[in-house]
Amino acid sequence: MNRSELISRILVYAGVVLVIGAPLVFWARTPLIHARMPEYGGWSPNIIHANVGEPLHLKLTSDDVVHGFAVGQMDMQSVDILPGKVTDITLKFDKPGIYTFYCTRWCGLNHWRMRGTIEVSGSPSDSEPASPPLYVSLNLDIDAPHDAPVVPAQKPSAIRGQGLIPNSPFLQSFDYYRSNSPYQAFLDLSNTSLTEPQRWDVVAFIWRSNTLSESLANGKQLYAQNCAACHGENGAGDGVFADDLTTAGESSMQTMEGAMDMIMQSPVDFTDPQRMLGASPALLQGKILRGGMGTGMPMWGSIFTEEQIWDLIAYIYSFQFEYQN
Amino acid sequence: MTKIELTRIPFIKNAFKSRYPQLAVFIVMLIGYIFAILAGLIGTPVGSHNFSIVFVWIAWWAILILVAVPFFGRGWCAICPIPLPGEWLQRGAILTPPDKRPKWLNLRVPKMFRNIWLQNISFLLLALFSSVLLTTPNITGIILAAMLFTAIGLGAIFERRAFCRYLCPVGGFIGLYSQAAPIELRIKDKQVCVTCEGKPCYNGSSIGFGCPWDVFPGGLTKNTYCGLCMECIRTCPHDNIAVNLRPFSADLAKPSTRMDEAFKAFIMLGSAIIYAGVLLGPWGTFKDAAYNVGSSAWFMYAGIFLSIIFGILPGFFTLGLLGTKGNATLKHRFASLSITLIPLGLMFWVAFSLSFVLTNASYILASLSDPLGLGWNLFGTANTAWQPMLTSILAPAQALALVGGLIWSARTAQKAANEVKVSPIPVIVYCFIATSIMLWLLL
Amino acid sequence: MNPRFSLLLILTAGLAVAFPPLPVPTVAPQARTFQVDAGQFAYSPSKIFVNPGDTVTLELVSTDVVHGIYIDGYDISFEADPGQTQTLTFIADKPGSFRFRCNVTCGAMHPFMIGKLMVGTNDWLYRSVGLAALAVLGVTISRKQEV
Repeated sequence: MNRSELISRILVYAGVVLVIGAPLVFWARTPLIHARMPEYGGWSPNIIHANVGEPLHLKLTSDDVVHGFAVGQMDMQSVDILPGKVTDITLKFDKPGIYTFYCTRWCGLNHWRMRGTIEVSGSPSDSEPASPPLYVSLNLDIDAPHDAPVVPAQKPSAIRGQGLIPNSPFLQSFDYYRSNSPYQAFLDLSNTSLTEPQRWDVVAFIWRSNTLSESLANGKQLYAQNCAACHGENGAGDGVFADDLTTAGESSMQTMEGAMDMIMQSPVDFTDPQRMLGASPALLQGKILRGGMGTGMPMWGSIFTEEQIWDLIAYIYSFQFEYQN
Repeated sequence: MTKIELTRIPFIKNAFKSRYPQLAVFIVMLIGYIFAILAGLIGTPVGSHNFSIVFVWIAWWAILILVAVPFFGRGWCAICPIPLPGEWLQRGAILTPPDKRPKWLNLRVPKMFRNIWLQNISFLLLALFSSVLLTTPNITGIILAAMLFTAIGLGAIFERRAFCRYLCPVGGFIGLYSQAAPIELRIKDKQVCVTCEGKPCYNGSSIGFGCPWDVFPGGLTKNTYCGLCMECIRTCPHDNIAVNLRPFSADLAKPSTRMDEAFKAFIMLGSAIIYAGVLLGPWGTFKDAAYNVGSSAWFMYAGIFLSIIFGILPGFFTLGLLGTKGNATLKHRFASLSITLIPLGLMFWVAFSLSFVLTNASYILASLSDPLGLGWNLFGTANTAWQPMLTSILAPAQALALVGGLIWSARTAQKAANEVKVSPIPVIVYCFIATSIMLWLLL
Repeated sequence: MNPRFSLLLILTAGLAVAFPPLPVPTVAPQARTFQVDAGQFAYSPSKIFVNPGDTVTLELVSTDVVHGIYIDGYDISFEADPGQTQTLTFIADKPGSFRFRCNVTCGAMHPFMIGKLMVGTNDWLYRSVGLAALAVLGVTISRKQEV
């Protein structure tokens, strides 16, 4: 073999080995967390281990559509995970425990199932005893029917109700608002001289006066990002996925541990006064925290902070009451 | 007809005669090709950000259809890396012309396959799956690898470049359209070839290999099957091979009478029209059908695709020909006049590709900086946002290409009709209708 | 007729078809609103017809994943998540036919998720077909005279 042939062969062999070897090495040394639509696998891996106090570096990429990443109950800005791009995130955990990370951009009917866990180990710091949520301490059966037998003829207005407020302090207390339904407040006002429409207006005012404006704004944003795709942008239960959820029905649930008696339901219509005026904030808290147990309503307990849930509830009542002119 | 012999320029001639420039390009292309396979298999599954999709279907395709084929004919084949490993194994050498003992089976390709029907079929197979192929990096990687290994396999069984000549889905249409290109490889003096002993250009010699494309240069009259590999320039003992610059569409003056080539013209024309409608049109149902391979909608799509190419397009063409009176048989007229569709089809592809390429060219910068989707930023362009280019001149450019193609094919029709002594009018009307449909789809 | 002359005639006719402005139909501009549903990989409606000068508002409703709209020629874009309808208002001051396409990677067929915005009549199409007809005529005539 002459010299030029030898050199050519060496060049070809070296080139081929290098072009196969080098990318494989880089690829193997860069562990990525892949995000896919839940139908195609969701997060992979979906369990991440971390240690208390040590920074956790993650590289995330999306394999199909736009996703987002956030850790539940943590004060963090969610970050977008874009198709074909890599997003670097550094997290730090102060307390051990199991955290839930979830997708924050809608990526299809099953978007809310796109969750994973971060298991943070370490010695527990002085943990404050967690108090049970309000619906638990009130011992509410959140699956029991709660329809209001009487509904107002027109939308109750907090503006109109403002001047009519009777001198009954318990009605205006924060605890009262959280643990009673609007219909209960309406009943409790029956021993006053107000007419029925006036009593509803007062109820609207009570609900408004227990709600901060920034809570409403925050709740509105949370609603748009997390609820509107099913419950509708105007709360009417007619979001873009509402029809899909209804038609998904039984077949969609067979994939979930064979729970055949629970089927996907149409999302609740928040503009329905019978249903909503009979529900107390505590009851709604339970529904949001626990979720619909197979109805298609996700469990939000591991995602939202308590504050966020109250904000959301405050906003949901605004579909029933007029807070402004 | 004036021709300029490029090989008269010493620089060009030496560049072709020496093996080293070509080898250098070969090595780069082969490495790039293998990298594209790897990127398709291990890179991000997102097509528009994967190196393999972006470099094969946007960058390479743009260069091929907008530059290489119209101006250099089979110029791509001259530097294509696909046949190389097979050829090197076949020859037992990369550079040195070997002893003449065949290394492998070295069989002759059976006569029934010595046409381009296999290429027509392989192109159609890819065309029917193109929506998946074009958007799924894995599939692109597998197809690229499959072509490489098929070429090796065929090289081990048959003599010369059987893959390129008879099977390559891309080679088929490059060959068809290369007839319109202004570059050709031809002999200088026929008499020299007639008296040449041993025909080393075809049989090989101690300084080079016999034509890998199984073509005797002395008989070359058109570009279709000459791969511009430059081997005959090296082997010709009489310096009788030239690479010429010539007028566009010189080969189209002598119509072919082969049905495989005639149908290739219909396949390419039909595919361009269908892609313009399915991929660039506003009809989501078609896109779903084309993408969901295996579904009943896809079978419908495949059925429509094939019936347009093998039924509707040649059908109306034949109907038009029935109206003409001539001595040639209908089959002869059909094959001869189908050459009209070559400039038309080429310009259809140019117009279609302009839209696709200009819209998506900005992906090239992003994937160049992060070819494996691992979050790199090699050249600082990884975060280049998607931005269609030149959208305001796109429509005029497409209109110009299509109307220009129509004029070109009308002239071709007149020449071809003259050869078989029939009226060119029906074919010109046919081309006009096809152009109008394409204009409607694209504008 | 001398072939040079007829070619000149055809060329002039070609220029006449390609360039002069057509009489613009006098339709008073109005405000129009379209709700455009976007799902993998199509828009509904996929064709939007407006008159030149209209103030067009697009309400983008994504029905599965995040989608967007980029309008060729106008070079404007916006995007919407499911459950968060977004609107874009613009004045359709450029006549012609424009593709609009998804500008947020939304799955495999994303590059081909396309709709059409038609502002007035599609002059380019008619002019091009006219040019094509003239070209065919020109080629035929000039050839006849050569023979």
